[in-house]
Amino acid sequence: MRTETLDRSRGGMWPWLGQRVTAVVVIVTIMVHLVLTHYVAIGELSYDNIGERLAAGAVLANDVLLLLAVVFHALNGVRMVVLDWGLSGRGARRGFDVFLWVAGIFAVVYGIWALWVWVS
Amino acid sequence: MRVVSAKDRETANIGTGLWKGIGMWAWMLFRLSGLILAAYLFVHIWVISQGRVGGPDSLDSLFEFFDHPFLVFLDFMLVAAVLFHALNGVRVILMDLGVGIRRHKAVFWICMAVAAGVLWLFAYKAIPFIL
Repeated sequence: MRTETLDRSRGGMWPWLGQRVTAVVVIVTIMVHLVLTHYVAIGELSYDNIGERLAAGAVLANDVLLLLAVVFHALNGVRMVVLDWGLSGRGARRGFDVFLWVAGIFAVVYGIWALWVWVS
Repeated sequence: MRVVSAKDRETANIGTGLWKGIGMWAWMLFRLSGLILAAYLFVHIWVISQGRVGGPDSLDSLFEFFDHPFLVFLDFMLVAAVLFHALNGVRVILMDLGVGIRRHKAVFWICMAVAAGVLWLFAYKAIPFIL
C-alpha cells in the first residue's frame, strides 16, 4: 500500500516509528484488557470488580502501559489525519504539536491519578 | 518539511492505480475506526475517573446505565472497531516491512478472518447481554 508508506515523508520519521512501536504495545495490552473486562468479567463490571482486578500488579502494569501507549497512538493518529488535511505553516504545526503533547500528558497523568484510587 | 495534502496524495495514488479497491476501503475504514476509537479513549478515561471524582456509587451508576442492551451492543461494536483497526494495522506493518506486498489482498483477507474469529469469541459472551 503506497498510501501508508508515503506517510514517512510527511509526519517525520520518529512519529512514524512511534506509531508502529505503540501499535504493537497496544495490540498486546488491549487484548489482555479486553479479555479481562469483556470476556472474563462481562456483566460483572463495577467499582469493586475493577478493584479486585487491579489488585494484581501485572494487571495494573498492563493497564498503565496500555494507557501510555494508546494515548500516544491516538493523538499521533489524529496528528496524521490533520496533517493530511493540510495544516500549513510552521507556527500552526508547532502549535498543534504542543497542544497534542499537553493533551496527551494531561490524559496520561489524569488516567493514572484516576486508577490510583484502587491502588492506595 | 514538505506538506502533501490528502487530495494530492490521492491523485498520486490514482496515478499509480493504487487508490482503488480493497486497499482504498481498508485505508478509509482504518482512519474512520481510528478516529472513533481516539474519541472513545477520552470518554473512557473520563468514565473510569468517576470512580475517584464522584466515588464508587457514581461509577456504579454509570455502569448500570451502560447495562442497557443497546449500549452493550455499541460497546461490542467498539470491540469490532478495535479488532479491525488492530488487524489492518498488522497488515500495514507487514507492508512497511515489505512482507506480502504482492499478495496484499490475500494478506488483507487473512487479517480480516483473524479479526472475525476473535470477534466471534467476544460475540459469544456479549450476545446474552444484548438480546
